[in-house]
Amino acid sequence: MIFLAEAPPGTHPTVSVCSAWYCIFNYDSLISSAVAIVITLLVGFLVAYRLSHGVPGKLQLLFEFLIDYVRGLIRESVGEGGGFIVPLAMTLGFYILVANWLDFFPLTEPVHPANADLNQTLAMALVVIIVVQAYSLRVLGVRGYFRRFTKPFEMALPVRIVFIPLNVIEEVVKPVTLSLRLFGNIFAGALMVYLIGSLITFLAGLVPAGWPGTAFGVVLTPIVEGLLILWKAFDIFFVGTIQAFIFTLLTIIYFGMAREGIEEERHGGERTSAPATAGTGG
Amino acid sequence: MNHAIVLAGALIAAGIALGGGAIGAAVGDGLAGNATIQGTARQPEAQARLQVIMFLIIGLVEAMYFINLALGFYFITAVASQVK
Repeated sequence: MIFLAEAPPGTHPTVSVCSAWYCIFNYDSLISSAVAIVITLLVGFLVAYRLSHGVPGKLQLLFEFLIDYVRGLIRESVGEGGGFIVPLAMTLGFYILVANWLDFFPLTEPVHPANADLNQTLAMALVVIIVVQAYSLRVLGVRGYFRRFTKPFEMALPVRIVFIPLNVIEEVVKPVTLSLRLFGNIFAGALMVYLIGSLITFLAGLVPAGWPGTAFGVVLTPIVEGLLILWKAFDIFFVGTIQAFIFTLLTIIYFGMAREGIEEERHGGERTSAPATAGTGG
Repeated sequence: MNHAIVLAGALIAAGIALGGGAIGAAVGDGLAGNATIQGTARQPEAQARLQVIMFLIIGLVEAMYFINLALGFYFITAVASQVK
């Protein structure tokens, strides 16, 4: 069995380009993310190449449905002017989905599900958060951007000052949770595959000396392999898909949160000018 | 002797962390399922939409446990490699 000979997940072979600490690359993660990127691009270009105004193919139908769904989400939580989020969120979500689903294939050593490396997920989360901050600065202005950190806007001023560190922590923690969530799920999936695979050697070690060990092996091997298949199906189909979706959704939600304060200011202005008309249709 | 104590402590800590995380994830899953059942009972036509949200929440809740699992494993391997 191949999976018994594997090293435990989490240890990445590294290659050093120069002597500094930032020159060390996990080259297996680079290779596996490159594979996922190539497949993502190929599928994307295939859909774009076979784009038709007539009856769409199944793949185009799926993409149109997904893009429509993401557009709807953005319209709900970000509002107008959020069109530029669609390519970012869709690309990230689709890339994560491809990278997770690559685990369906029996991957050999240098290639592993790319998101099982924290560097990969942290890079994506940092890109998202940096774009979110830039968007927040652009939409709210410098003053509004810093005003957002005194968040419960309806509270008194001293309470809002107390809330400043909490808001700063909330902002800093966002990329951490966003990356750790994806990494933890995919890494734990690979870890469970490894643990279930090593279960058979563990069970074989429990057989006392003198007993017919091969008979136990004959019975136990199919059971362990069945467990492995069950776990992989759950892990990739359910967890992998849902995590890709959650990453996309949280990206959009963070963009929605980045423009907090803009509605309050507008509502406040309306309230002072026209207090009688309360009809603000959504 | 000292090393064995450290290693045993690390294993027990990881076990407690995993157990506590499993309790939290189970309670969270149960709450999400509870809310979905109540919502479906109140509005059966909203079942499809509620199920999407339920699986989303379950993904978010279980993510905590998987992070727990991954970090617990890292913890054990880090301590074990230090102890030798």
